[in-house]
Amino acid sequence: MSSGADPNFFFKPETVAVIGATEASGKISGIIMDSLASSGFQGRIYPVNPKYSSVKGYECYPSIGAIGEAVDVAIVALPAFAVAQALEEAASRVRGAIVIGGGFSEAGEAGQALERELKSLAVKTGMRIIGPNCMGIYDTVSRLDTFFIPPERIKRPGTGHLSVVSQSGSFAVTAMDELASESTGIARVISYGNSSDVNESDLLEFLADDEHTSAVAMYLEAVVDGQRFIKAAARCAAKKPVMAVKAGRGGAGQRATFSHTASIAGRYEIYKAAFKKAGIIELDGYEEFIAACKVFGAAKARPSGGARVMIITDGGGVGVALADECARRGLEAVPLKKEVEDGLSSMLPPYFAVGNPLDLTGSATDEWFASSLEKTMAGDDYDVAIVAALWGPPGLTDGLARGIAVKADESGKPVIICSPGGEYSRDKSRLFTGAGLPVFSTPESAVRAASILAKDAAFRKGRERKPTRRQARNE
Amino acid sequence: MNKTASVIDALIREARGALRRTLTEPETKTILKAYSIPVPRFKVIRDRETAKAVADTLTYPLALKVISRELTHKSEAGGVALGMHNAKNVEDGLFEIMLNVADDAPQAVIEGFLIEEMAPRGVEVIVGAIRDPVFGPAVMFGTGGLAVEILKDVTFALSPIDREGAFEMMNEVKGFGLLTGARGGGFKDLDAIADVIMKVSRIMEENPEITELEINPLIVYRKGASAVDARATLTAVV
Repeated sequence: MSSGADPNFFFKPETVAVIGATEASGKISGIIMDSLASSGFQGRIYPVNPKYSSVKGYECYPSIGAIGEAVDVAIVALPAFAVAQALEEAASRVRGAIVIGGGFSEAGEAGQALERELKSLAVKTGMRIIGPNCMGIYDTVSRLDTFFIPPERIKRPGTGHLSVVSQSGSFAVTAMDELASESTGIARVISYGNSSDVNESDLLEFLADDEHTSAVAMYLEAVVDGQRFIKAAARCAAKKPVMAVKAGRGGAGQRATFSHTASIAGRYEIYKAAFKKAGIIELDGYEEFIAACKVFGAAKARPSGGARVMIITDGGGVGVALADECARRGLEAVPLKKEVEDGLSSMLPPYFAVGNPLDLTGSATDEWFASSLEKTMAGDDYDVAIVAALWGPPGLTDGLARGIAVKADESGKPVIICSPGGEYSRDKSRLFTGAGLPVFSTPESAVRAASILAKDAAFRKGRERKPTRRQARNE
Repeated sequence: MNKTASVIDALIREARGALRRTLTEPETKTILKAYSIPVPRFKVIRDRETAKAVADTLTYPLALKVISRELTHKSEAGGVALGMHNAKNVEDGLFEIMLNVADDAPQAVIEGFLIEEMAPRGVEVIVGAIRDPVFGPAVMFGTGGLAVEILKDVTFALSPIDREGAFEMMNEVKGFGLLTGARGGGFKDLDAIADVIMKVSRIMEENPEITELEINPLIVYRKGASAVDARATLTAVV
């Protein structure tokens, strides 16, 4: 753990240097220069490389010392062996460094020694270090983009209110790309790699108070300081949903296995317990991670009040599949109240069987979907709606998504879209993502998203029930 | 240093002195008793000659268990005899255990015997704890007895654990129904289990030298519970 300054400055830098900058767009530092130039970053950009006098149209400096002002963030794109020396020289004029390259503790003994050098440099100089072996920061607030994969390969998400913290760079970029394709926005993505200095707890502390972040999704391999992590995560989770995937589940650690307890207690059981203690929603892998990002990150994402689900569809079978999955995951497709049922019956043809799931059949229209959503979500009967619109009925038009989005807004409750089907349906499902609604392609994944919302609701209720004690424990 | 701490400290010092990392069953139970976790009344004898006199100070029926650091799984080596109803039974039982151990684990040094009052039948649960290098003490609760390794019907929570946290743990295991009257078993003393979970959590917090602690089974009754078997491990000395 570093005793340096809090690392919040990484998220509002005015000056950025790229140490090892080159002209070549095929090289990592060239891609980073391109990203900085095109991402809309408003601060000053200083390439540093004694070999050039200019890079990508920016004046290039032989050293950090030659730049006429202090640097907030230095992005280091140098081979592992050269990093420590470059940073040592720069330390007095740099607040924080993002060390992109690998070849450190993940790469054998020599790399471990290099990483120890970085660590002690951070302690000695107070300079904060993100990485090494990371992608760094993609930030739609400050517009910093240090990800070294060009946008034509990995799409960048637009502005949103979800932040992602990932120990793995590949996990972070792949998730970003998927979210961008689903029109899910992002506030900040931080890929922090080997966490030689800045670690998950530092980042949670920053994100807890970050007004641009309303939910946090994490990918963790190993936490550095357990007690600090629980404290930081609990503080953040008290303000906004915090979700996490723990990867690397195998391995019982270095324990003796004298007792049953020790032989059963793998790393994963302990992380589960830690998540529970901190109020972190546990995600069971990549799919659930993406589901959580969508359901908390969509423009029209809203927290749910609980586990009562209203299912509206125009396909009977899909409705039943949704109801079955709800039952399996402990969600309740509560029957309609009499007055709600009467209201729906008066709108629909007399031969309709009105219930939950509500099957609008092949006669469905945009208006039926919108009004059904309005009538069922108006009271306090349901916490979340799953709308499964199959595109068969001729009465459905491109206006369907807009209509549902408007009613979702009016209800103030989360609405999840389930849009199964092939090419035509996949194409049409963009109407929903475009309207800011979270879309899932199968009944199972839609219900899984609803159950993540319900877990968040349960944590919030638990905190409301015993606020004083939780606070006392977290001080 | 208070009495509890000094009792435990002496135990740990003795084990360390003998270069042992495992505590014997009576040693572990002494720690449990120091934290007022209920255990069956027991005595330790070092030789067969004193068995009768010691047994008569307890209430029959009694259980006999061999004490040996080499035997972590006593019953598998024939090191346990149950249902001793009189002094004659006790003497025969001890003899049989010695023969069994000589057959099954001839290398094991018999340090003595635990003579203990038999606990009545009840629902068997397990309460264990380990010290995690990153997150500190974690307590395990689950369906107990011999099937624990197969069923793995357990849950973990990090220390410290309050009463509500202990009840949440009980709720999380599938075997919870066995404690609340499934199969006509009647409602068991959940508060007594919660007490044990919280106390095990405290033992781990207050005794950093203990790295593993396990009560299996903890037998739970309509009123009360009893830690029938227990074991503990100390941290490695570096």
